[in-house]
Amino acid sequence: MPSSSTLGKSELTAEFVNPIISSTISVFEMMLGCTPKRTGLSLKQDLIPQHELSAVIGISGRAAGTLVLSLSKSVGIGVLDRMVGITTTEINDEVCDAVCELANMIAGSAKAQLEHLEASISIPNIITGKGHTVHYPSNVSPICIAFDSEIGTFSIEAGFSDR
Amino acid sequence: MKVLLVDDSGTMRTIQKRCLSKLGIEDVTEAEDGVQALELFVAANFDIVLSDWNMPNMDGLQLLKEIRQRNKDIPVIMITTEAERARVVTAIQAGVSDYLVKPFTPDSLKSKLERWVTSNA
Repeated sequence: MPSSSTLGKSELTAEFVNPIISSTISVFEMMLGCTPKRTGLSLKQDLIPQHELSAVIGISGRAAGTLVLSLSKSVGIGVLDRMVGITTTEINDEVCDAVCELANMIAGSAKAQLEHLEASISIPNIITGKGHTVHYPSNVSPICIAFDSEIGTFSIEAGFSDR
Repeated sequence: MKVLLVDDSGTMRTIQKRCLSKLGIEDVTEAEDGVQALELFVAANFDIVLSDWNMPNMDGLQLLKEIRQRNKDIPVIMITTEAERARVVTAIQAGVSDYLVKPFTPDSLKSKLERWVTSNA
């Protein structure tokens, strides 16, 4: 396996794809009791996430970048309901907390599969609102991995560069 | 049994509290970060500490070290997304008693807690 220093920026992002997919499926199965299916993989053409609710995690270490769990309002509400059985109709602090923890587990599980990158993850932040933007390291082409699940569609968006 | 439960996520605290309740443990004190947890730990007696690793203000590893300076015997279980071998080794060297990686199934959390709850009942 090449070291991170020998990988180009797109290759480094690509190295994360399979760990992100397997981690996402595993976390959804264990914490939400549903198995998401991957429905798409594409290079992002803009900085606007697919959905209105973003849990954003920064990654540092031998790879630097950003991972976003992008959800619709209804999926965010579904996450809270599935995790702790709390029903709500709005994006409130409890929904944001549950979504943050879900993103934290996905990022943590993915980085554990990429131990050679010696990565650290930040505490997640939530951004809401239609058309909001998330920025990535310069010259990185972020990817978008789309999923469908029992609680609706969502995506993981990520871009990384080496250091 | 008195439990100190430390996690910056209210969702995760709720999940763990429900699991403790199923084991008959209702005396649970919650903290949102290491600083708050250490203040509580110094002020009261607990039988076990369950702690996340990545938290604002003071993380779980530093909390573990602070606890071990004051008490070498109390069980401290780290419940965290930090799954790499190097991280686990670091926690063991700092004196962690047990380790559970997130995500976890309710059964895996229950069996992990059961071991310590039973041995310290």
